[in-house]
Amino acid sequence: MALTGIQIYKLLPQTNCKECGLPTCLAFAMKLAAKQVELAACPYVSEESKAKLAASAAPPIRLVTLKADGHEVKAGNEVVLFRHEKTFYHKPGLFVRLKAADPDLAAKVEAIENYTVNYVGMDFTVDGFALQADGDLAAAIETVRAASKRPLILIGEPQALESGLGALAGETPLLYAADSSNWEAMADLAAQHKCALAVRGASLDELADLTEKIKAKGVEDLVLDPGLNAEGRRVNMATWLARATQIRRLALKKNFRPLGYPLITFPAEHQDGAGEAVHAAQHIAKYAGFIVLDTFAPELLYPLLVLRENIYTDPQKPIQVQPELYEINAPSPDAPVLVTTNFSITYFAVANEVEGAGLPAWLVVTDAEGMSVLTAWAAGKFDAERIAKAVKDFKVAEKVRNRTLVIPGHVAVLSGELEEELPDWEIRVGPREAVDLPAFMKQALQTA
Amino acid sequence: MAVEIPKDSWPGSVKEVTLGATPAEGGTRSRTVTVGGETTLPFMHFEAPPPHPPAIAIEIKSRRPQDWSPLLGELWGAAMNAPAEWARQAEDADADLLVLALDIEDTVDDAVAAVQSVLQASGLPLIVWGPGQAEKDNELLVPVAEATKGERVVLGICEDKNYRTIVAAALANDHLVQARAPMDVNLSKQLNILISDMGLPLDRILMDPTTGALGYGIEYGYSVMERLRLAALQGDAMTQLPMIVTPGYEAWKTKEAKVGEGVPAAWGDWQARAIYWETLTAVALLESGADIVVLRHPESVQNVKQAIANLMTPA
Amino acid sequence: MSEHVLTFYPEGDGNAQSVRVPTGTLVADALQQAGVEINQPCGGQGRCGRCVVQIESGAIRRRSTLRLTPQDIEEGFALACQGVVEGDAVVRVPPQEKISRRLTTDRTAAAVAPPPDYAWAEHQSLKRIPLTLTPPSMENQTDDWARLQTALRRQAALEDIVAPLPVLRKIGDRLRQNDWQVTALVDTGSQPKALLDLLPGYPRPEEPMWGVAVDIGTTTVTVWLVDLVSGQVRAQTAEYNGQIARGEDVISRIIYASKNDGGEELRQRALETINALIETACKRVRLTPEQIVKATVVGNTTMMHLFLGIPPASIRLTPFVPAVNSPPPFTASEVGLKIYPQARVLCLPGVASYVGADITAGALASGLADSEEVCLFMDVGTNGEMVLGNREWMITCACSAGPAFEGAGVVDGMRATRGAIEEVWINTTTYEPTCRVIGGVRPRGLCGSGLISLLAEMFITGILDKAGNLNFSLGSERIREGEHGPEYVVVWGEETAHGRDIVLTRVDIDNLLRAKAAIYAGFSVLAGQVGFDLQQVQRVLIGGSFGQYINVEKAVQIGLLPDLPWERFEFLGNTAVRGAYAALLDRRAEERIRQIAARMTYLELSADNTFYDAFMAAMFLPHTDLTCFPSVAATLNKV
Repeated sequence: MALTGIQIYKLLPQTNCKECGLPTCLAFAMKLAAKQVELAACPYVSEESKAKLAASAAPPIRLVTLKADGHEVKAGNEVVLFRHEKTFYHKPGLFVRLKAADPDLAAKVEAIENYTVNYVGMDFTVDGFALQADGDLAAAIETVRAASKRPLILIGEPQALESGLGALAGETPLLYAADSSNWEAMADLAAQHKCALAVRGASLDELADLTEKIKAKGVEDLVLDPGLNAEGRRVNMATWLARATQIRRLALKKNFRPLGYPLITFPAEHQDGAGEAVHAAQHIAKYAGFIVLDTFAPELLYPLLVLRENIYTDPQKPIQVQPELYEINAPSPDAPVLVTTNFSITYFAVANEVEGAGLPAWLVVTDAEGMSVLTAWAAGKFDAERIAKAVKDFKVAEKVRNRTLVIPGHVAVLSGELEEELPDWEIRVGPREAVDLPAFMKQALQTA
Repeated sequence: MAVEIPKDSWPGSVKEVTLGATPAEGGTRSRTVTVGGETTLPFMHFEAPPPHPPAIAIEIKSRRPQDWSPLLGELWGAAMNAPAEWARQAEDADADLLVLALDIEDTVDDAVAAVQSVLQASGLPLIVWGPGQAEKDNELLVPVAEATKGERVVLGICEDKNYRTIVAAALANDHLVQARAPMDVNLSKQLNILISDMGLPLDRILMDPTTGALGYGIEYGYSVMERLRLAALQGDAMTQLPMIVTPGYEAWKTKEAKVGEGVPAAWGDWQARAIYWETLTAVALLESGADIVVLRHPESVQNVKQAIANLMTPA
Repeated sequence: MSEHVLTFYPEGDGNAQSVRVPTGTLVADALQQAGVEINQPCGGQGRCGRCVVQIESGAIRRRSTLRLTPQDIEEGFALACQGVVEGDAVVRVPPQEKISRRLTTDRTAAAVAPPPDYAWAEHQSLKRIPLTLTPPSMENQTDDWARLQTALRRQAALEDIVAPLPVLRKIGDRLRQNDWQVTALVDTGSQPKALLDLLPGYPRPEEPMWGVAVDIGTTTVTVWLVDLVSGQVRAQTAEYNGQIARGEDVISRIIYASKNDGGEELRQRALETINALIETACKRVRLTPEQIVKATVVGNTTMMHLFLGIPPASIRLTPFVPAVNSPPPFTASEVGLKIYPQARVLCLPGVASYVGADITAGALASGLADSEEVCLFMDVGTNGEMVLGNREWMITCACSAGPAFEGAGVVDGMRATRGAIEEVWINTTTYEPTCRVIGGVRPRGLCGSGLISLLAEMFITGILDKAGNLNFSLGSERIREGEHGPEYVVVWGEETAHGRDIVLTRVDIDNLLRAKAAIYAGFSVLAGQVGFDLQQVQRVLIGGSFGQYINVEKAVQIGLLPDLPWERFEFLGNTAVRGAYAALLDRRAEERIRQIAARMTYLELSADNTFYDAFMAAMFLPHTDLTCFPSVAATLNKV
């Protein structure tokens, strides 16, 4: 049972000593309830209270880190079932599977390694490679390492994998996979070479058995593959969703350690007709830690990388729209230019009013860190300087012939400074409320 | 080790909503489509199998759209000039439902004629959208509602500004409404309350929480839907409505889907990317609780259909 | 069906009227039949209580007693619109003026009385110490100051006293002119203790000693002139803050202060206001301001910065950190207060940029900080600050409610002065309003309580839907499309003071909804953050001028205040100045306020995304979740 802030507060010393870095014990209790601080930050909490609070501490899903020289991919440590509750922390690593015996291996690695796509200013890449040990693994690793320093997942039987591990000293690859037939050898191998180890089984019961046994052999960085049925085939979307959900629920709600590990998935192996992309999308949304793709295709990778970014965005941030110059109702260069902030509700209010009235306009949406007009103005995020910068950055003057800029009535006070910042523009003070914009545009601006 | 699977049991459930009416029910549709009725989170078969599969609607327009991606223009070709033909082809493309979006240029007569031609051409239940300007919506949707009395058409898109007229038209002519609020749990709920306060039963409201495409705010729509569904299951009556979302509209207005030239090479093949964009947007929304997805491209329809089949039958 | 005879005695108008009516008739209908006038502003729904009558004898069943106290019922009062005739009866019909006074009151205001246990010799940090000094002689050439220090040590056990230079300058004359019989005025609260003045001779023990408690509000500055000996408040003065001319809200003032010499100008304006108020107060008790030897000051953090001339710029910028929350003591001459120059000025401590000393002082004055039960304290002015907690824990936040409830940002809004509509009732069938105007004159506009009342009535009668949209299908000519969009005409131009229609527009409604949503969201986030159920709040303590005139029922109906039993609400007036007054008198109270400031946990709402959700949920009438407002749900079902 999660404790409330007040309940936790009553277990704390209540001295407001500030040594935890927070101004009061209640503030600390609230952060603790929200799992935003560690109990250890309080130097004076009693042993008795510690015991009572222990249950609401400790991350229930183990953090597993795959390491190579300079690159890391982490999975685990997640604390919620739904992204709105807090945030999903560690984006699932996207790996591409290649075969050790592939004669084109070097070329493929190079192409994948060089893949970069930019999404709203961020560069995305593939996170690593999965190597199927169907040939000389050591040689294949050498080939990969010639072009890439990204973490590896090695797929094969223990003997085959062992041959390759010598070349990966100092790295933490993921070995795939231990099952009921080979787990001892796999566990030994993982322990010896300090690797993370994937575990596969046809049911949660089997997975839980295996992880306990392997853990007893000293391997703790485990990853689960819950995607197989008793015949060794991949389950379909419904079953995968159920299992992934059950595993996360068990870990989070029941603190069930035997399944408290991140998941690995192979979207292309599901032969249910839905296709690799659809499975990968499901895995991104529902709880995968590592995703191994068989297809390297930019048109597939790009939407998957974007989906992953979207799902793992911090939901605590106010809903924002991209700051840019928006076109409403196909404006001509003579259409008026309106200014507002990038808080989504503010943007929608303005855009919908103007769009709904059928009036063409240019809308400069400034970066006000997702605040509404008044709040942003109060916090200094929507001032003459920022508006002028947006007008310049978005090259409004190149796209628009009209030189009239309409600012929200709530910030009428900015008009003087804005005239100084933008000497070529006439600054007009619009209405305070979006609802009055159409009338203002028709009357004051004489927009058709 | 026998792992005990934790099962959620919820006090609330989603209302069932039936679109369309057969001749026996006072309409002319060859079949009806029922959505909703969920008693658990999406596709949690081990708790309770979903009573109805999510439905796919294909969006067509009363006039050939000028601003659609050329990929869609090539695909639908001449059918885009005549809503009846377009509707027939959409039905052939496996749609469960049709969305007919009226145009701002339509007169009342145009709108009524377009709706009637579609109803004659296809036996699928119909959703009719106004052009999206409150006054014009009211002007067109009221006569459309009257001309289709008894068909259990879904009238859209009802927003907080224009809901009164559309809801009144639905009430008077035995239709349903699509209630859209801008990506906010509370706003969705508030609109449902306002509509229900006018006397429209909850089983005649589809909730449209608004969504963004992949890369363009899908995460907000996604979470709003998860939260609305959780609220419904927790017993909040005013959120217990099936959800309709428009991934087709959203995805096809993105640069990724719309534009083939002058884009980064890292975006890959245009057509494949565009279809992925629509498909993945739709699939993510299905997992967060969509009951109806409105799509534009037949290939996405096939992809999403396959995903739904998979999600409806554990294997 | 049997018939009954009802006899009515309209008070002040002597003529009894009798009428025969069948069983089950409403008294209101019987009155109409008898031709006896009775007002029913709410249209006979039992909501307004204006149609109260007194049953002298006979059988009248009360269908609803919503507006009646048990004592009212005991005395025979019943609502005409809710009274069902079940037998013959004699009914007294009181005149309307009397009725309004008879109404169940839903506000309680506390008067100022000195703390009952106040003993100035014990609790006051300023001490008057009578001293008899041995005059110097050729044998004893100890200097005056050392002589005085020795006397203080020997006669009052006070060690290590210091004296400011201006005091040193006058001790020689003072001692000699009074034959070495003087009274030392010592401030024992300062570090080190200081000799503030040397008074001639020995004043009588009850001789007053003067202090002022100052509350610098964004809109209004309040000064209490206090006799520190008796503890009595001898004069209260209040005036608009002279800074208003440079911006109505704190943000505007912060911005003004950061330009040119804006900060110094605002400091001077605040000082002018305060000094003028002190002077007025002094005149009332025939005093000169220089006789005031102590001051305590509270105000929101921005006001405190501006008063002290400390640049407030960082207050409004992330991460919202003020220059100082807890200023050290100053002398009056340092800060510019025109009282005794060496008087100590105690600026009480605040908590954060938007929770200042007015709130810490209010937490003490309202009783929250001493309460065993969990209380909600709110001080609504231009900003809304609130505290949830009890003597064990306190959590606070501030929300920018905006000045809508002060009448700003509303087309026909005004302050609560003569000519302001302060209460409105709307008839449910005709949609015609009845207004009460401050001063009983022709109305000029709507003040905060009038706006709350109007919004509630428009909502309850269905003129507004729950989102605040006007319903044009009701067929009332008062609901129309105006210059600023849809609006409701409260008073037609021919009945107003200025000849213009008084209206409430859709934009006004949105502003009011935003203001009330911000305040309610503040409550819900505070409660949510500590996992406390708002329904469990035992007392709602409302400070600030805003609270004084609002009607709880109406404020609950629009979702401004939580839906709790009315008796849990207490209206306390200006709790900030009350807290300053407590600290002025009693060093323990001053210390308590310092502890409160240190203990209060501040929640920054702009960093809390649950606030946005709570705000959107509250942007509805009364709230998106109607189950939080059971009494409103019940009212809606009845209408």
